Amino acid sequence: MTTIPKRHNRERRLGSGSIPPWWFAAPAMLLFAFVVLIPSARGIYYAFTDWDGLSPDFSWVGFGNFTDMVGDPNARQAVWHTLVLAVAITIIQNGFGLLLALGVNTMIKSRNVLRVLLFAPAVITPIVTAYLWRNLLGPDGAVNSLLGAVGLESWRQDWLGDPQLALWAIVGVIVWQFAGYSMVIFLAGLQSVPREIYEAAAIDGTGPVRRFWWVVRPLLAPAFTINLMLSIIGGIKLFDQVYALTGGGPGHATDTISTLIYKDAFTLGEFGYSIALAVVLTIIVAVASTSQYFVLSRNERAAS
Amino acid sequence: MKIRTLPAVVAAVTAASLLAACSSGTNAGSGGDGNTLTLASVDQGSIEDVVKAFEAANPGVKVTFTTSGADQYQQQIRTQLASGTAPDVMTVWPGNGNPGATYVLAKPGYLLDLSDQPWAAKLPDAVRSVAQYEGKTYNALFGLNGIGALYNEQAMEKAGLKPPGTWTDLLAFCKAATAKGTPAFALGIQDNWVTQLVLYALVATTVYSADRDFDTKMQAGQASFANSPWTAAMAKYQEMQKSGCFQKNPLGTSYEASQELAATGKTLGIIQGNWVVALLKGKNPSSTYILKPLPATDDSASFFMPAAAGAGYGVNAKAKNRELALKFVNFVMSPEGMKVFNGKQGSLPSLPDSGSTVDPGIAELNTFIQGNRTVPFMDQLWPNAKVQQTMLAGLQEIFSNQSTPDKVLAAMDADYKAGS
Repeated sequence: MTTIPKRHNRERRLGSGSIPPWWFAAPAMLLFAFVVLIPSARGIYYAFTDWDGLSPDFSWVGFGNFTDMVGDPNARQAVWHTLVLAVAITIIQNGFGLLLALGVNTMIKSRNVLRVLLFAPAVITPIVTAYLWRNLLGPDGAVNSLLGAVGLESWRQDWLGDPQLALWAIVGVIVWQFAGYSMVIFLAGLQSVPREIYEAAAIDGTGPVRRFWWVVRPLLAPAFTINLMLSIIGGIKLFDQVYALTGGGPGHATDTISTLIYKDAFTLGEFGYSIALAVVLTIIVAVASTSQYFVLSRNERAAS
Repeated sequence: MKIRTLPAVVAAVTAASLLAACSSGTNAGSGGDGNTLTLASVDQGSIEDVVKAFEAANPGVKVTFTTSGADQYQQQIRTQLASGTAPDVMTVWPGNGNPGATYVLAKPGYLLDLSDQPWAAKLPDAVRSVAQYEGKTYNALFGLNGIGALYNEQAMEKAGLKPPGTWTDLLAFCKAATAKGTPAFALGIQDNWVTQLVLYALVATTVYSADRDFDTKMQAGQASFANSPWTAAMAKYQEMQKSGCFQKNPLGTSYEASQELAATGKTLGIIQGNWVVALLKGKNPSSTYILKPLPATDDSASFFMPAAAGAGYGVNAKAKNRELALKFVNFVMSPEGMKVFNGKQGSLPSLPDSGSTVDPGIAELNTFIQGNRTVPFMDQLWPNAKVQQTMLAGLQEIFSNQSTPDKVLAAMDADYKAGS
C-alpha cells in the first residue's frame, strides 16, 4: 500500500517539476534533419529547376515541370497504372490474406506448417522473386509449360509481353508474395478475439458467416487499418517488382510513377522533371494514406 | 550542474560526430591504397580476363571491379559521378546520345583528358571522332563491333539452309526455317535496348548506302526520320516479324533467353552485335557462329553494316589512384590487352597495328570495315538520349500494336529537334 503513493509522487514530480531540457531531443532531431528534412527540402527545390543531374549549373523554371507533366502522356499513363495497381493489390492481397488467415486460424492439423509456408514468400527480397517470376512467366517458362501439361494450351499467354496482361501479371506476382504478409497481421487480430465471444455467439445460434460479419469483422478493424494502409502505400510507390518484371514495358504499358521517375532521372537526365514527379507521388501517398487512416480509425472507434 | 552538463556534452559530441560523418561522406569515393584500382564495367565475360592479365603483368596490384548490364550501369555511374563515389576507371560509350557517352560525361568535367597517352594519336579518324570531346581524347576505345545476322553453324547445317544473300532470299529463308520448326532468328526484346539492333542493321543499308551524309543533313535540319528511308527500314522490320523471321512472343523473351535459343539451336541464329558470340559460346561451348550483313535490299553490292567503336574505358577525373588508372587504360590499349579483350569479345581491334588476328567468324565484318562500307551506330551521333529511348519504347509499342512506325518516327523527330 505504501509504494503506490510514492510512485505517484515521483511521477508528478517528473511531470510538473522538471521539464526535460529541449536539447535532449537535439541528437535525434539533428539526425532526422540531416537524413530526412534537409535532403527533402533541397529535393523539392530541384523540382522547380531544369537540373540534369550532372552539371553544376541549372536554371529556375517555376512550375514548368508540373505543367509539362499534364501534357506528358507517359506521366498520365503512369499515374493511371499506379492507381490501378494500388487498388487491385489492396483489394486482392487483403482478400486473399483474410481468407488464408481464417483458414489457418481453424483447428486443422497442419496449421502451423501452413502458416510458415504461406508467409515464406514475404521473407524473400522482392527483386529476387520478381526475377524468378520473370523466368516463370516467360513464353517457354514454367507457368506456360504447366498450363500445356494439364491440357490448357489455350490459356498459355505471353504474360509479360502482352500489354493487356502485363499489369495483371505484376499484380499476381505481388499478391503471391505478400498475401501471406497480410495473413499474418489478420491472424494476429483473429487470435486476439476472445474465445468466449465466439462461444457466446455460437450458443445464440449464429452461423459461421454471420458470426464472421457481426462478431469477428468489427474486432479485426485495427488489422484492417494497418493492412490497407501498408498495401495502399506499397502499391502506390511500387517500383522494384515492376522494374525487374517488365522494366515498365512493353513500351510504357506498365510504367508506374516510380519507374518513370527512375527512367526520367537516370536514363534521360531530366532530374528536375523527375523530382517534380516524385513530389506528386509524395502528395498522392500522403493524401491517400491520411484520408484512409481517418476513415478506418473512425470505423475502428465505432466498432469498439 | 554536473547532472545537466553531461547530456549537453553527449548531445554536442553526437552532433559533431554526425557532422563529421556527413562531411567525410562526400569525398569518400573509390578507397584503397596505392595498389588497388577500382573499376566498373559492362564487359561481362571479357573484363575478367583482362583484369587477370593486368594483375599478372603488375604484381602486387589488385583490381576491384563490378560488372553490370548497360541500362543499369548507365544509371548507376551517373549517380556515382554526381556524388563523388565513382570508381577510378569506368566504361564510357563513344560519341553522344546515351547517358554514359563520352560527350555527356566529358562536358561536366568528370573524365580525365587522355590526349597525351601514347595510343591517342594512333586512333583511326572514325574512332577518334567518337573518343573525343572538343578536340581532347577521353575514351580508350579498344574495339570495333558490328551488328549483323549471326548464324549458328551447327543449327544451319542441321536445317540444311544457307545464309540468305538478298532481301527476297531472307524472307524465303525465314519461311523455310519456320517450316523446319526452328525459327530463323531469336529476338529478345523484353529488354528494350535489343529492339534497335534489327532496325540499325536495316537502316545501315536503306538509309546510309544511298546517303552517307544523312547525319549531317539531320543536324542541319534538312532531313527527318519520318521523311527518309527510315520508314522503309521500319516497314521491313515489321515484314520480317510477319514472315515469321523471329520466334514467337519476342516481347516476353529477354536478352538472356534469346541467347539460349540461338546457342542451343532452337533458332538458326540471332540478329545481334558480335559481342554476343562470347555469351553464346558460354551457353554452348561447342557451337560456332558466322556473322553476315542482314540483307535489306536485293542489291547485295549496296549492303552496309552498322559498325562502330564499342564501349571503351575512361578515367575518373577525381580518380583516387590516377597513376594506376592510366596504367590500366594503357594496358587495355596495348597489343596484349587488345588481344585479350577483342579475342574474348569477338570484336576487332581499334588500332591498326595491334597484331591481333581476326576471328574467321567475323571476317566479313572486317571486309566491310576495310571497304569503308560501315556506319556508326545511329544513336552515337544523336543530340540527346531521349531520341533513342523514344525509339526503344516505340519499337516495343509497335510490336504490341500500341503504336505505329509513323508515330514513333514523328516522336523521334520531335525529340531530335529538341536538341541537347
